Amino acid sequence: MKPVIVPTSDVNSEHGVLVAWFVDDGAKVEADTLLAEIETSKAVLEVVAPEAGIVLHLAERLQEVPLAEPIAMLFETSADLAEYVRERETRAAAAAEAPAPVRASAKAVKRAEELGVDLAALHPGRLITVKDVEEAARETRVDYDALPVPLTAAPGTQRVLLIGGGLGATQVIDILRSSTTQRAVAILDDDPQRWGADVNGVPIVGGTDRLGSLFAAGAYDAATVAISTSVAARRRFREACQEVAIPLANAIDPTAKIATDVELGQGNVICAFSHLGTGVRMGDNNFLSAYNSFDHHSRIGSDNSTGPSCVTSGKVTLGDRVRLGTGIFIEPHVVLGDGVAVASGAIIVRSVPAEHAVKTKVVTTTVVPVQRPGR
Amino acid sequence: MIFAKELNETLRTCLADDPRVVVLGEDIADPYGGAFKVTRGLSTAFPDRVRTMPISEGAIAGISAGLALAGYRPIAEIMFGDFLTLVFDQVVNHIAKYQAMYAGQATCPVIVRAPSGGHRGYGPTHSQSLEKHFLGVPHLRVVAASLVHDPRTVFDDFLTQDSPVLYVEHKLLYPQHLTVPEHGRWGDLLATQDASPGMLPTVCLSAVPREECTVTVLAYGYQAMLAAKVVDRLAVEEEIFVELLVPAQLAPMDWAPVERSVGVTGRLVTVEEGSGGWSWGTEAAATISRRLFRELRSPVDVVASEPTVIPSSKAKESRILVGESRIEAALRAAAVEPNVR
Repeated sequence: MKPVIVPTSDVNSEHGVLVAWFVDDGAKVEADTLLAEIETSKAVLEVVAPEAGIVLHLAERLQEVPLAEPIAMLFETSADLAEYVRERETRAAAAAEAPAPVRASAKAVKRAEELGVDLAALHPGRLITVKDVEEAARETRVDYDALPVPLTAAPGTQRVLLIGGGLGATQVIDILRSSTTQRAVAILDDDPQRWGADVNGVPIVGGTDRLGSLFAAGAYDAATVAISTSVAARRRFREACQEVAIPLANAIDPTAKIATDVELGQGNVICAFSHLGTGVRMGDNNFLSAYNSFDHHSRIGSDNSTGPSCVTSGKVTLGDRVRLGTGIFIEPHVVLGDGVAVASGAIIVRSVPAEHAVKTKVVTTTVVPVQRPGR
Repeated sequence: MIFAKELNETLRTCLADDPRVVVLGEDIADPYGGAFKVTRGLSTAFPDRVRTMPISEGAIAGISAGLALAGYRPIAEIMFGDFLTLVFDQVVNHIAKYQAMYAGQATCPVIVRAPSGGHRGYGPTHSQSLEKHFLGVPHLRVVAASLVHDPRTVFDDFLTQDSPVLYVEHKLLYPQHLTVPEHGRWGDLLATQDASPGMLPTVCLSAVPREECTVTVLAYGYQAMLAAKVVDRLAVEEEIFVELLVPAQLAPMDWAPVERSVGVTGRLVTVEEGSGGWSWGTEAAATISRRLFRELRSPVDVVASEPTVIPSSKAKESRILVGESRIEAALRAAAVEPNVR
């Protein structure tokens, strides 16, 4: 199959009129046979066959044709031509029957996945936005009686509710399992698909809209945000708890070393083998992965999230909503402003202003088969 | 139907319905039918009233002025808007002045059509948008063709009023389809019309209702079509909601629809293809800043082309003229502008 294109370099015209066909539709032609004439605003152009074949007209005489598109196709055999025509008809029929695609913003598509909302069921008569998705999610009636109830705990034990039932929750549950004073009793997650399931024995009892009602009913004593991937979500849920005066619980692994004169806010998750040096001040709702070390007199704001093995020297300052990747070293006196994001493997020697990202050069490693000496 | 043909039908209707209408211009008669084929077939249908002119814009303007004073309704085509400089004197000093000079005893309702704009690689003297030099000429209306305004309505309005008009047609509109808003929609966008009494309407386009938009973008002609693409893309990809206002008439400008939109969004970006400075956008910035000083959340941003000669190389031309990327950058910047109110 070979398309026949009008040969033109005429910047004046995008269209031309096909004024004559010199070969019939379905005729067999040799290469360089004159096929048609196209009249543009400046000239009449002759169109010849680029190779031998059977001609299929794609335009009629006196029709206006776009010069960028083929006016005919050439086929080696009549079977090829028939096949092409059949496929074209099938495609046209399919296109005519296909339902109108759902039009939603990229953020709305993501939010709909999180909340389990079917976008095809929404018909706002315009672009579907996050607001539409969240409204639809709220309107979905939930049968709370069918959902599991929070676990209980011995008197004197702090009953902790986890926000987010992802992999972060498994880490927090593991930390609290070795605690004698705290117990994870329930999880809230905004994906309705997960309601009723459990994470390592802790039930997912509904969406975060139940935060207030479960607290008022006395089902738990404090909440911990168990989401490590999004600092925006950490902040949103901390604020949601503050609005209805729900206390946040720290979850600190017993292998973590908290030095003398450290002041901690609430809602912090500190994973195994982490270290807060002397005189460290930490705000609320931070998530420190394993093997973090914030050395003496460092200051850490709120709603931050770190990967494993982030190590600072003394007197380092982190603002709020800072995201650190894996394996990061920070020099003394460095200040990371609010909303800073740092890529894995960075060694930071200078301060970073708010809402900036620190990128690292990709360190490539090459994997090769082991060479054995001799034979 | 493509805009060039819609315009052709409009002129045909004007000629058929109004015996006072005369169409003049260079190379407009059949078989050539005009450089952009807008007048194709008209000289065959109306041989007495569709006349090819000698290659003299001065003659076209002078003959048009005379015909208009004698009671005709001349519609003159200037082959390229760049050649409008050759009619500037007669438009400013004669055509626009007669009605006031003769206290209404004479009228001079000349309609000048000018294919304008670039992005085609036509070089320094066939690519410009010179309409800004005509904005603010007393008693002259400057109107811009767009794909959201039916030219039939626009020319009806021209023929019922006695003011002279400059009608600029961006060349890249000719091969595109006229798509007038229907049932409150324009493609995937919501569409409404807003106008002060007696004014041509401004079309308002947005992905979500105005109340949820945080920026207003004001653009006309081909640039409005570019802005529409950016408005849609920012809504879908980023949930940055912008309302696009497309006026038909640039001067005198109907500011009320702009004020109503900016009063809600608090931010305004203007877009024009003409060279930057001393322009439609700066007039909009001055007017809206004065009238809505307390409502504005950030300074008005004016997007216009680089104030230099338009190169023939298409690659270099695209760095001089406003394109989608410049519009998108301005709208993104406006949307994240801190609230200074």
